[in-house]
Amino acid sequence: MGLTEDKARELCDRILGLVRADSAEVWLSEGSEQHLRYANNDITSNSVSRRIDVGLSVSYGKRSASISTNQTGDEALRTMVEKVQTMARLAPEDPESMPPVEPATYADPINWSEATANAAPGDAIERVRPVIEQARAAGVDSAGYLQRLVYGMALANSRGLFVHQRSASVGFSLTARTGEGNGSGWASTQVTDIRDLDLAPVGERAIRKALASRNAVERAPGRTTVVLEASAVRDLISLLIWDLDRRSFDEGRSFLNGLVGEGKDPVGASLFGDRATLVSDPLAPEAPCATHSGGLPLNRTAWIEKGVLKTLEVGRFWAGEKKIPVQPGPGNVLMPGDGATLDELISQVDDGVLITRLWYLRQVQPQTLLYTGLTRDGTFAIRDGKVVGPVKNFRFNESPVNILRQIMASGIPERVLGSENDMPFHVPPLVVRDFNLSSVSEAS
Amino acid sequence: MHRRDWLKRTSAAGVALLADRWQVTAAAAATIGERFPNLADAALARAKALGASFADFHIMQTDSESLFVREEMVQGVDADSSLGCSVRVLVDGAWGFAAGDDLSPEGVSRLAESAVAIGRAQAGWRKRPVEIETLPAHTGRWEQAIGIDPFTVTLEEKVERLLAINRAALAKGANYCNAHFSQVRERKWLANTFGSRIEQSRVRVFPSFGVTVVDEKKGEFASRSSLAPPRGAGFEHLRDWDFIAEAPLAVEQAREKMAAPSVRPGKLDLVIAPSNLWLTIHETVGHPTELDRALGYEANFAGTSFCTPDKLDSLQYGSELVTIRADRTADNGLSTIGYDDDGVATEGREFAIVDKGVFRNFQMALGQAALIGRESSNGCAYADSFDAFPIQRMPNISLQPGTDPSVTVTDLIAGVEDGIYIEGNGSWSIDQQRYNFQFTGQVFHRIREGRLDGMLRDVAYQGNSVDFWKACDGLGGAPTYELGGAFNCGKGQPQQVAPVSHGAVPARFRRVNILNTAAEAGKDIAAVGKNTCNCNEGRLGRWA
Repeated sequence: MGLTEDKARELCDRILGLVRADSAEVWLSEGSEQHLRYANNDITSNSVSRRIDVGLSVSYGKRSASISTNQTGDEALRTMVEKVQTMARLAPEDPESMPPVEPATYADPINWSEATANAAPGDAIERVRPVIEQARAAGVDSAGYLQRLVYGMALANSRGLFVHQRSASVGFSLTARTGEGNGSGWASTQVTDIRDLDLAPVGERAIRKALASRNAVERAPGRTTVVLEASAVRDLISLLIWDLDRRSFDEGRSFLNGLVGEGKDPVGASLFGDRATLVSDPLAPEAPCATHSGGLPLNRTAWIEKGVLKTLEVGRFWAGEKKIPVQPGPGNVLMPGDGATLDELISQVDDGVLITRLWYLRQVQPQTLLYTGLTRDGTFAIRDGKVVGPVKNFRFNESPVNILRQIMASGIPERVLGSENDMPFHVPPLVVRDFNLSSVSEAS
Repeated sequence: MHRRDWLKRTSAAGVALLADRWQVTAAAAATIGERFPNLADAALARAKALGASFADFHIMQTDSESLFVREEMVQGVDADSSLGCSVRVLVDGAWGFAAGDDLSPEGVSRLAESAVAIGRAQAGWRKRPVEIETLPAHTGRWEQAIGIDPFTVTLEEKVERLLAINRAALAKGANYCNAHFSQVRERKWLANTFGSRIEQSRVRVFPSFGVTVVDEKKGEFASRSSLAPPRGAGFEHLRDWDFIAEAPLAVEQAREKMAAPSVRPGKLDLVIAPSNLWLTIHETVGHPTELDRALGYEANFAGTSFCTPDKLDSLQYGSELVTIRADRTADNGLSTIGYDDDGVATEGREFAIVDKGVFRNFQMALGQAALIGRESSNGCAYADSFDAFPIQRMPNISLQPGTDPSVTVTDLIAGVEDGIYIEGNGSWSIDQQRYNFQFTGQVFHRIREGRLDGMLRDVAYQGNSVDFWKACDGLGGAPTYELGGAFNCGKGQPQQVAPVSHGAVPARFRRVNILNTAAEAGKDIAAVGKNTCNCNEGRLGRWA
């Protein structure tokens, strides 16, 4: 069920009651996880676990330290408090140290589901079984992963702040591969309420891509018009959203410094294309998240609106230095679309490539926010508005800045998982011109 | 949001670390086996009573501390400790696993029941039952040899050493600098129904720093990170690495890099230092030769591999110079341990992955060897926390020195007409079957006519794993061997993070594809050259 509010309050009070430092902040997380993995159409591991984590930061003036543990017995908590207080007393002063966050009012989050919390471990097996059988019947090998996370989390501090929120989610992804290994397809979904989990279309989508991507041919790399499915868009957008940071820009070491002239501010500048809009909103039902970040309330925030940079993240210390408002980072990311179906997007492309999934994205050049990565699990040639066949995968070198500048059309947003994190994203597929496909990958 | 993300983002200390001369408590001094007697018997007996054909029981305690300083400020002093246990069972041909932090006989019995229940729920529709080999029983204790236990070193000493690094960088003109030190102790206790009872302890440390120089007028900046690797070692690693000399050198090199000519893309010869090559070994040899990947177990996340079992003993993976060996026994190795998390003894199980250029073996965990006609696991199982299912993870995987011990990096550079000498690891990426890779670095020295000739910028090398290793035509001798590595190799779903070391000597590679990263970002490279070079009058740009 996750950490209940009563238990959270009792534990926070107990820990804060032990603290003798000038100020303190406690954070708690308790819950259960289920991880079901399968490969070659058989379950390879299925695990359930429960754990609690307790963290404590204390300060004596500007001297601070933090500690965390998963032991919550009286003796363990006393030891934790004594330890962190000793550490803080020994720590040199940090001129940038900040007092705990002031109490605030938080909206009730909507990313909780009793049904997800109460699902039995066997429920996951019964949901996954038909998808595995679907793959067996189609003659493909499938590998997949279902992750059910149920958490209660709390934050409290010596200024009187207390916030308790719960979250639940179920994510599922699978990769279907043809027996010869020459075709591969991937699909995913993520829901808050397990009753909304519909795995059959996900399985069908992955299998269809696997079969369609067999015997890919090589296509010359180069700057190309691409249709990016939502998962690929999600991976690329996430590379930019965390770099929208005020302090990095003020210190001259942000990609934004290269986009605006010396002495000019990027906020309010039209740095991207008209179709680029990025918003975060913890209460968006299509991809909800917690309504605070470290005790700072999260509200609907427009980061980029029709190409204009509207907001940068601002930490508490930097806000004080610059006399500007604090702005926490996003808890989710929403990008509106034009409503076109994927087929309608493809129909707008005379000569291009359909990219369904990306992989191993890593920053190459922070100055330009250049990232490299690869396509995988279904890449297709588009000619005269139609998918004409599979092509071999590509390595790309591209900046999300360019992508947001070169959007030609967008589709219907959907909630999809990314390749390396599970933060909620609700984004559309995009048509992007001049996407830099750098070389061909033999991987299939 | 994932729990770990939430914790990270709600931490007031951000990056953080700790350290004080803690009094070692009685509980910490005792072995895990002594602190929790009879738990294994309770868990394993319950699992067997419920029908498990095999079961193991793990207790894991992880203690970590870290310290982060920025310029002259100490911004993170943090400690973390976790303790818990798991029961893994094989029942009716299927795995079941349950974990928790209730270290009582009743608690572990309940875990055994949960593990059996979810294993049994797969009965009746599996395609193929899981089968495992019988392993020898081991009883014993293994402890990693280190110099100075970092958990006994005072906070003051650690802070002063890190601040001294930053002072050295600032004195040389760095605009920004940071330094950090991480230390981890893992204690593991394993019991299984083969009869093993094993207790182990190991320590690892990671000292590092980064510097940044800024040209505000041009809106440009450049950074250079330390070349110091993490090690399976004690505090002596931070003490003995000459950071006070490296920090000002890093500032000079960052400044020189920012002003250097932009590289001309094309085929060039490379000499690669161990501080860069360890990561290339990791990605192009380490991951492709994981047997679980090759068999499709990781297809949904990390991917599969070009290196399939049918290529054993036949694939020419590299030139005849190339021998790459795996072990979990190397001194200071991050993967070094006495027994893996399946209970396989690691001593005597060192093996060649590539021998004189030919692919010879995979890395394996329990239940995998028979699938390629081998008798038993070679000891590569690892779980990163008490609630993680053990999976195959990398041992230390290292490029062996050339046969001539007198060969130095200078000798390798002398054999290059036009090329680049690369130090330090930067960006890295490789496809899901490990063919196509792309790496950058920290420092790129131009080589002309057998000598270093200034620096280059915007360099990345890209290629195919096998083609790359076949292009190796020179290796440093044994005295040039260095151990690199990482704390954070990711694999699996949910993702597990493993520490691993890779030894290497400097090596020379012919005709490697070089990219210009500024051009890849869509910049006018001619303009980049013009902006950064004042020695090229009359030309739009400067390609090196």
